[in-house]
Amino acid sequence: MDQKVIDGEARPARMPGLFRPVDRGPDMHRALRAITGGLVGTMVLGGFLLVLDTQARGTLSVAAVVGRFLGIDGRPLIAIALFAIVTVVVWPALFVAIEEYLPFGPDPAAQAVAFAAVIGIVFVVVGRGSITGPILVIYVGFSVLAHLAYGFAFGSIYGRLAG
Amino acid sequence: MIGGGVVLAIIAVLLVALGTRFLQTKGWSSPIPRPDGGYLSGGETDTEHAEKQSGLLRWLTTVDHKDIGILYLVFGTVAALWGGTEAMMIRTELLTPTADVWTAATYNGLFTTHGITMLFFFVTPVFFGIANYFLPLLLDADDMAFPRINAIAFWMLPPSLLLSRAGLPADALGKLLSTVGVKIPFLEALHPPETGWTLYAPLSIQSGNPQVDLLLLGLHLSGIATTLGAINFIITVVSERGDDIGWPDIDIFSWTMLSTSGIVLFAFPLLGSAVIMMLLDRNFGTTFYLVEGGGPILWQHLFWFFGHPEVYIIFLPATGLVSTILPKFSSRKLFGFKFIVYSTLAIGVLSFGVWAHHMFSTGIDPRVRASFMFVSLAIAVPSAVKVFNWISTMYDGRIRLTAPMIFAVGSIGTFILGGVTGVFLAAIPIDLVVHDTYFVVGHFHFIVMGIIPMMMFAASYYWYPIITGRMYDTLLARLQAVLTIIGVPITFGSMLIMGALGLPRRYANYPEQFAMLQQVASVGAFIIGIGVLLWLWNMVQSYRVGPRVRDADVWKLKRDDAFTREWQWFEQKLADRYGTDGGESDDD
Repeated sequence: MDQKVIDGEARPARMPGLFRPVDRGPDMHRALRAITGGLVGTMVLGGFLLVLDTQARGTLSVAAVVGRFLGIDGRPLIAIALFAIVTVVVWPALFVAIEEYLPFGPDPAAQAVAFAAVIGIVFVVVGRGSITGPILVIYVGFSVLAHLAYGFAFGSIYGRLAG
Repeated sequence: MIGGGVVLAIIAVLLVALGTRFLQTKGWSSPIPRPDGGYLSGGETDTEHAEKQSGLLRWLTTVDHKDIGILYLVFGTVAALWGGTEAMMIRTELLTPTADVWTAATYNGLFTTHGITMLFFFVTPVFFGIANYFLPLLLDADDMAFPRINAIAFWMLPPSLLLSRAGLPADALGKLLSTVGVKIPFLEALHPPETGWTLYAPLSIQSGNPQVDLLLLGLHLSGIATTLGAINFIITVVSERGDDIGWPDIDIFSWTMLSTSGIVLFAFPLLGSAVIMMLLDRNFGTTFYLVEGGGPILWQHLFWFFGHPEVYIIFLPATGLVSTILPKFSSRKLFGFKFIVYSTLAIGVLSFGVWAHHMFSTGIDPRVRASFMFVSLAIAVPSAVKVFNWISTMYDGRIRLTAPMIFAVGSIGTFILGGVTGVFLAAIPIDLVVHDTYFVVGHFHFIVMGIIPMMMFAASYYWYPIITGRMYDTLLARLQAVLTIIGVPITFGSMLIMGALGLPRRYANYPEQFAMLQQVASVGAFIIGIGVLLWLWNMVQSYRVGPRVRDADVWKLKRDDAFTREWQWFEQKLADRYGTDGGESDDD
């Protein structure tokens, strides 16, 4: 058979990829969008905090910071699990509740960055504990950056799923 | 209190929300409408690339030069942010005279991996990415000469980065696994190498860290990738040019990429051989770099025979970008085009004759040293020709201070500082005094930060509309340009002073009297870092919501008859997408 015919039959105009194009219909519920965004954001945040923990080479423990932030110092595993719930569910839910009041609209990514910046600052202040000296620069910079990235990832996914 | 931070964060967010609402009702702050109505990229469909795979598979299987160019750019950016984080860590450690943030060993690891990541995995991939995207457009070629080799060359880079930098991912993975009770000893055995990026023997041979072996393998692999890419560029320039593009019509950026690729072709295979010999010395008992065999100096000769041309491999494309961008915003033709091409070729040749100036203090024959001093001084001449021509291009031109132009002009200034201090270092008597001091670090950072990334930033802004179809935030871009130009001399100027005062490099501890200068350098570095974050935000956010470009003549180049081929291609693309009358397309 002619090669061109085979190609023509076998290959539709656009081959489906590993990820199908996102369904941008209006059906996806706002809460589901927020939690999906929160999940992606949490992965980004976790990645940043893991790099911080690794790069700090023992001079600070992110698990301890998270424990202090949540008020359950001394139980790192529980703290990390709780923190994940907070970043996947609580922050997105709060964002959805107050979205229209946040600055830098209408882009939800920009709004979420502002939202996460506030959380990041509180995270840094409350979680600081006894971290002092020059390592504070890395701690503050990286933690706030991690939250900004969280906000951006969360907000852009949240907005993108909105259609 | 349980959940104390969470409650506090909720209160803080609510306060911000209330404050914003208050300001909005008062009319002090309202969402600024975007010129195009604020589209999100979610509304777009990839109708343009209907023939390609969709989703992730497209990026894994692509052989399109533009797609591979973007892959290179993303890869290089990730590497740059990784290496940049280490730069910030180095500067944090040096805020105090004692090594009180991290240990001296960690500091040694930091400057080693910072150098390797930046030189091998940031600069070359980014320039190859820019060239991949634009060379075929500038040369009116259909694609690169060997599209599949092009893809292979790129896909060798991620594994080579992972091999070279296995320490951090292994450490992170080990931490993750240990939280669930799994311990893998090998993951804990890998530590960042502490040899310096130059991997000098005998230290690198004696080091028992298995990560050094992985690094050598990674460098070998990246060398193969770079060589394949270079061959592709050479063949593309020589034989894939459009019918109406003869040798005299080749643009200046393609000339510099051709020269760079030529240097790669002769330098990188040598690095590959040298690192294999080191691998054999480390693992199989050979004596290439031992006193009984070739001696440690042999490594230095072989390494720098690659290493100094490498400096020009990463420098020449940056000069090509200055020569491309500067005339566009001066409303002038590039002054002395031919001489810039000749100077580029001259640098390409001379770059192989200067390597021993890195070894003036090793005790090599003084007559050999003298000859290398002469060539090292001579190579400043073609560089000076470029600077003269750039300044002459601007002379009496109509200067428009866009972000790319601010970067280009700033680059000339910082490059002069880096270049002139290089001339000082080329002189044996001065080199013997300041060898291995911060003077050297300051000198080469004025080049590797002062012109190379600055011109990458310039290119990213200049060609942003072509790559994304959108316009970036010009105010933010200018702010970043100014921050960078301020940050560079603060950081590296301080290093020149410290070096002139005799402070040796590569120590985590330093005498008390240098604390102030070190802190100034750190502040400068943090300013550069903030600029990088602004750039990242601008690139990503403008890609999502930046105003769509409808008129291809973004920079008003037609007025000066400077609407070059890549912009003509872009104009055609816009005409296909929106129709020649600038009407709306289907996907809007």
